[in-house]
Amino acid sequence: MFFRVVLAEMKKNVKQHFFTVRILFWTLALPLGNGLYLYFFYLPFAATSVNLEFYASNFTLDLAGFTLIGQLLYSFFTMMLIAGNTFVREREQGTLEAVLLSPANRIAVILGGALAGAFHYVWLLIGVVFSWIAFINVGVVINDFLALFASILLSYLSLVALGMCFEAFFFHSRRGTMYATMLQEPIMFLSGLAFPIQSMPRALLPFSYLLPLTFGLISVRLTLLGGASMFDVAFPLTILATMVIVFSVLATWLIGYAEHKAKVKATLTQF
Amino acid sequence: MVFHSLRVVVATAKFNLIMTWRFFSWTGFALRFFMPLMSLGAAWILYNDIYQRTTSPEFGSAVGSSNYLSFITVGSAFYVFVFGASFVVGRVMFWERTMGTIEATFMTPMSRLAYMAGVMTAAAVNSFIDFIAVFFIGVFFGFQIASFNAPLLLAAMLLTAFGLFGIGLMTNAVTLTFRDRTTTANTLMTLFMVFSGIVCPVELMPAWAQMISKALPLTYGIRLMRSSLFGIEMYDATYDLVALTALGIIFVVIGAITLRLIERNLKKKALFSVF
Repeated sequence: MFFRVVLAEMKKNVKQHFFTVRILFWTLALPLGNGLYLYFFYLPFAATSVNLEFYASNFTLDLAGFTLIGQLLYSFFTMMLIAGNTFVREREQGTLEAVLLSPANRIAVILGGALAGAFHYVWLLIGVVFSWIAFINVGVVINDFLALFASILLSYLSLVALGMCFEAFFFHSRRGTMYATMLQEPIMFLSGLAFPIQSMPRALLPFSYLLPLTFGLISVRLTLLGGASMFDVAFPLTILATMVIVFSVLATWLIGYAEHKAKVKATLTQF
Repeated sequence: MVFHSLRVVVATAKFNLIMTWRFFSWTGFALRFFMPLMSLGAAWILYNDIYQRTTSPEFGSAVGSSNYLSFITVGSAFYVFVFGASFVVGRVMFWERTMGTIEATFMTPMSRLAYMAGVMTAAAVNSFIDFIAVFFIGVFFGFQIASFNAPLLLAAMLLTAFGLFGIGLMTNAVTLTFRDRTTTANTLMTLFMVFSGIVCPVELMPAWAQMISKALPLTYGIRLMRSSLFGIEMYDATYDLVALTALGIIFVVIGAITLRLIERNLKKKALFSVF
């Protein structure tokens, strides 16, 4: 039953997103623009590589790859933020009460939305990879495929879990779309997307370390571009695994709390 | 006819300005500065921390100054101006459709271009406030003015607004066809902004990117703005003014034709408000 709900929600969200095949073109073009924006930032310095330091690891990474991987993960994070509006969209469509009256598991509904966001991301991934390979030579150095796989998987799971937490928050706050938009640029800055994390001002580092995107960027960049091994990225991977558990538990509690509060105050659909 | 169109421009601009300021939101206002703040912050870290206040010699010769943070501040101010103006103009038809007024709007005997010009005028006035605000923010990041050529800055802004008007017309045409608001407009604007040289001089971009840059009016607009604040020889400014004017006219003509064709097509298929 749980997985049927997940699949149904996923199918619905994918169909709603791709209401026309022409959307594919824009879905492919947007990440190219964003990736180039980051890449062009470095051109006034005649840079071709970037040093990334984290917890006793120091790697020199290809600049195009550094910005590419940053953009890939950030695009996914944005997808998760948007996917976090599932209940807000149901409310706008006037179907929220019907969804909550059904015996469908709430987590399954949100997970389906989040997975649909991940499915959309596949297009972004293909678009970015192909466009960057076509236009800019990206220097990829992979020495440990298992470390790379673990980095991608844990980054993905932690971002999905965080997206589910956002869902509950947006549902409760009733200003989901605005918050989702507001969060994008601060997170872009704090995660170390545009520059290596070791250059982040010390006062802001605690905020950076609250974001799974920060550790996802570190581990994926190091394993894909710097040839880092499992040992090199063990620390960020451990943090990502912890975040998966913490955010999943938190999301389950938050969604139950938000629904309960809305029912008590009779504010599920009325503002 | 001309007088009637002017009345439409003034009335639409007035309506839009009243709507903006009547429902003014500090959150929405602050939101417009997030992207420039991120750009300025990242630029500050790159310049001061990572590259130890050293830019490449190519940057100095391309810009005529080695003041990287001032370069980025002007780019960011330009960004909010363009984004603020095009964000409104590019979504006019979408909102008309959403509010259920698109058929009534197209039934009126007014000129579509005059209507859109009115929206553009209001958007440009509002964006100018954002534009000035970014310079004040830029001061905290190290923005300095080397020289100030007010007529050139004014000409650059007016001509850029004219070019943006053309881009806005095209975006509306695309939005009406694709029936989506954010993805289309955001993608078009991102591509326009990236290649116009907001964070990097066009001369330093790869050759293929430079070719795209040269076809965009925003490229010349931002160069003129930088020239008005950093100083430039008259020959270069003249070339950019001519290029910006010519491209502005081309974009407006293409935008007007595209919008008209799409309007006719939607009417024929009865698809104005029905999906």
